[in-house]
Amino acid sequence: MIRIQTRYRRRAFSLEVDSASEGPVLGIFGRSGSGKTTLLHILAGLIRPDEVLLEVQGELLARRPGGRWSAPEQRRLALVPQDPLLFPHLSIRANLTFAPGAAEELESPRGQRLIEILRLGALLERSPSALSGGERQRVALGRAWLARPRMLLCDEPAASLDPELSREVLALFLEAKRELGLPMVFVTHRAAELLALADDCLVLEQGKVIAQGTPLEVLAKPKAVGVAQLVGVDNLLRLEVESHDEAGGVTLMGLGEGLRLATPLCAHPVGTSRQVGLYAEDLILCRERPAATSARNALPARITSTDPIGHEIVVTLQLGREQVRARITPSAASELGLSGGQEVVVLIKTTACHHLSG
Amino acid sequence: MSAEELGVIRLSLQVALAVVALSFLPGLLLGRLLARWGSRWRALVQGVVMLPLVLPPVVTGYLLLHLVGRSSPIGRAWYALTGEHIAYTQGACVLAAAVVGFPLLVESVRIAMLGVDPRLEQVSRSLGRGPLDTFVRITLPLALPGVLAGCVLSFARALGEFGATIVLAGNIEGETRQIPLAVHTLLNVPGSEAAVVRLTAISVFFSLVALLGAFWFLRRGERRLASG
Repeated sequence: MIRIQTRYRRRAFSLEVDSASEGPVLGIFGRSGSGKTTLLHILAGLIRPDEVLLEVQGELLARRPGGRWSAPEQRRLALVPQDPLLFPHLSIRANLTFAPGAAEELESPRGQRLIEILRLGALLERSPSALSGGERQRVALGRAWLARPRMLLCDEPAASLDPELSREVLALFLEAKRELGLPMVFVTHRAAELLALADDCLVLEQGKVIAQGTPLEVLAKPKAVGVAQLVGVDNLLRLEVESHDEAGGVTLMGLGEGLRLATPLCAHPVGTSRQVGLYAEDLILCRERPAATSARNALPARITSTDPIGHEIVVTLQLGREQVRARITPSAASELGLSGGQEVVVLIKTTACHHLSG
Repeated sequence: MSAEELGVIRLSLQVALAVVALSFLPGLLLGRLLARWGSRWRALVQGVVMLPLVLPPVVTGYLLLHLVGRSSPIGRAWYALTGEHIAYTQGACVLAAAVVGFPLLVESVRIAMLGVDPRLEQVSRSLGRGPLDTFVRITLPLALPGVLAGCVLSFARALGEFGATIVLAGNIEGETRQIPLAVHTLLNVPGSEAAVVRLTAISVFFSLVALLGAFWFLRRGERRLASG
């Protein structure tokens, strides 16, 4: 669906990417300065590298050397930038209908459904300066979508928002992806966003691709130390909703073998399965079950392996029928005397369990 | 106020309006170019454009006279084409004032264009709008207050032009004599103090209104860019 090969040098920085993805969502992951935005601008045609081959949905958009070069406006790859960058002199309606043909698209059933999903109906006649950060980002997404692009190029669209809004915007991207099915390239430095949204991903470090594959392959089993340091070692579990305890504010989800994970109360129906994200550093390991703790989850687990990665120890545990990873310091590991096969108790706060949509 | 004085004022306003009309498009394009051009030739071009701001206007007039005077290639070509000379005409008034006021226009446009976030233009391109479309829909509207301020400044500068005009256009009554030239002439005529005061008052009034107008546009521009 998207194929990109490029080599680009600018002063001390060089970027080298050779990647192909069936999508529909390709995640580009890396810390700031790793070349993510540069790559996105090469895709958009805003930077013209000496060597590039870009194919989107079977169509050749750029080949250099070799002559083929489509200008940004011919590529139909619409940017959703980090700062929403709404046109300040235009109303929200005029922003949304800025692209050629977007006015008709807005009136179509698909366009109306988009307005509904992004909750833009009440904002149409307002000016961008009257909107909150989250609202602006919703407009930026809608504006790109209504341009009927081949693909969206999203440059950390949730990064400049506070955590709650950023989760909300991410949920909108997910809903839009599910319902309207438009392919995207999604740049992010947050592992959770990648896990929730991307079908494929590549990890950039100093302009080089250091890992690529599905987010689960890349993030859950980081082969390279660099990837592990970048992403942290996180857990993504697909669990079944077993029961809701509204008074207690928790939803219990099955881990198998009779174990249940208490997660924040959610509205997902009993019997459905949902993704839950757990940061590896949020898992606390104990040799024995503590007498009393505020952590709602004190679950028996068995250590399957301990691996030093960088300055940390990654402990892989069998928790029910799930495998989870905990990240601890070497001093904690030696104090606990951890070794493979050992039985431990894992403490997890309810609030450390993140419901991910999708 | 005498008919002569009214004629002088009318001529001054006509010339100043013609100056703005003549220099608007070149000023817009050049200001835009200088704002975004990355080439090392930029400094040189900018220097040449700014030169009339610091040159003595009389020198600018003298150089223009050599450029478009009767014996110059441009002057001769113009004569062959139209049967008229450029020097010592109302056209020469417009040319002299346009050249002297051009740096003010270009610099205002350049600064206004610099204030427009280039990422807005990039987003516009990625949404399917070409370079010209993007300029008309995004860059120009956002830079408009600064562009208009530049127009007002070049208008006001044209009203005050003296040195280059007297060299290139002379001081011909009813033809090229504008407010500054009329004041200068009247100062040498005994008993015309009242006329000098009237023309001076008019001059101060126009200049003040123009400056206030320019400041108003600039403040609007700051607000507009700040709200984005």
